[in-house]
Amino acid sequence: MTAAAIAASGLGKDFGAVRALDRLDLEVREAEFFGFLGPNGAGKTTTVHLLATLLAPSRGGARVAGYDVARDGLAVRRRIGLVFQETTLDRDLTVEENLRFAARLWDLPRRVAEPRIDRLLSQFGLDGRRREPVRALSGGLRRALDIARGILHEPRVLFLDEPTAGLDPRARRSLWQLIRALRESTGLTVFLTTHYVEEAEPCDRVAILDGGRLAALGAPADLKGEAGVGSLEEVFLARTGHPFADGGAA
Amino acid sequence: MGARAVYGIVVREWLRFLRQRGRVLSSLARPFVWLIFAGAGFAAVFAGRDAIDYRVYMAPGLLGMVVMFGALLAALSTVTDRDAGVLRMVLVAPIRRSTIAIGKALAATLLGTVQTLAVAAVLLPLVGLRPTWDGALLALAGIVLSSLATGSLGVLLAAGMRSIENFAGVMNFVVFPMLFLSGALYPIGHLGPVLHVLTYLNPLAYGVDLLKHALLAPWTGAGYGGELRVALDVVALVGFAVVGLAGATPLLAREGGVTRAAFRERA
Repeated sequence: MTAAAIAASGLGKDFGAVRALDRLDLEVREAEFFGFLGPNGAGKTTTVHLLATLLAPSRGGARVAGYDVARDGLAVRRRIGLVFQETTLDRDLTVEENLRFAARLWDLPRRVAEPRIDRLLSQFGLDGRRREPVRALSGGLRRALDIARGILHEPRVLFLDEPTAGLDPRARRSLWQLIRALRESTGLTVFLTTHYVEEAEPCDRVAILDGGRLAALGAPADLKGEAGVGSLEEVFLARTGHPFADGGAA
Repeated sequence: MGARAVYGIVVREWLRFLRQRGRVLSSLARPFVWLIFAGAGFAAVFAGRDAIDYRVYMAPGLLGMVVMFGALLAALSTVTDRDAGVLRMVLVAPIRRSTIAIGKALAATLLGTVQTLAVAAVLLPLVGLRPTWDGALLALAGIVLSSLATGSLGVLLAAGMRSIENFAGVMNFVVFPMLFLSGALYPIGHLGPVLHVLTYLNPLAYGVDLLKHALLAPWTGAGYGGELRVALDVVALVGFAVVGLAGATPLLAREGGVTRAAFRERA
């Protein structure tokens, strides 16, 4: 029995008068593939930023990889990888320069970083492009590089915030293959946020968020079984009383 | 802890600088444009033209100008980092906010120093200034310290700015006043009392003064060398660097810097 990878209790965040996240109680297990599903504006990104110590909670707290997000920000950040919704790569630097920059920020010595960079680039199909500037890469390859950057320091928990936003279907498919292979080879805990319902289907468990509140939590098959419906979209409707696309009460 | 991250930030800025040919060329050409156009006009009306050639008098100020543009613009890249998202990657790294500020300031120091030395190598022979060894060493110290001071204040400025749209404001209310109140173009002693007091708040004034001590020592008697004590210049420049770094650190940690844009998008 290992400790939970993520444990949030009563976690909440206000931006001025806007309650972005109400009170979230959540446990994500070690090596779990956890989906965080909700319409735009449900509070998904706010949650990720709270767990990644980029925001300070307005109430409640959370532990990530065993450390308190409010007290041990550095320890948490050392053990997590975060792939943001929008790319954070430096477009003017080459593929390998971006990874070296990240390696130095995460305090990886050269002898550790270089073999990892080589391995990730070949694993992610970027080997032939390593000396090209990032601006020359397609959206799909940039996303792959974002993820390579996110796992370079071998985190215990990887946050993927809407990783497929803006990608065409083929790039999306190859990204999912990449993430699946990565999970199988490393046993990494993956916390995925998405507003594409079908992307949450392969998750071990999903939490459905609506207007800053948790509407449902469980394995996709169980949730569908309980509600007697065939899709997570219908689960959402059954639990919240309004269709998925109308969400965004915040 | 943090040294490798600082090194990484400096290397990144250096690589970006080398790839921006236009920025390199314009920063190297700018002082010569001033030398030709401002130098030609002011030389004729310069009060001290019997004592010193105006183009010689201008040389330390022009080097100060290169420092300011080089270091300040490098530091202001923090704003474009925020727009491009790169700052988020830096903020999610397991490093302290002060490490980010120090990395950015040292990168600005390096870029300011390198550009100024490149200009000095051409400018000083061109105007016929041949510094002594002591003078050259003092000038080097002045260039490094001025780059550090303006770079650190630039990081503070950038950390407080929402977007690069404020850039014109920075030029009007920071860069030009700093330049004209620095003694780069005329001795500070000639300014009226209000403006004279303002020069004490101007980091570039101490940098230019230090460069005058280093390069215009023979003309000190005629009133065209350094006007303040060398020790005061050094202490002031270090002080500005400390203030800039101390002020920038909490601003970088402000949560709006990372997520408010994302929040605004969905609100």
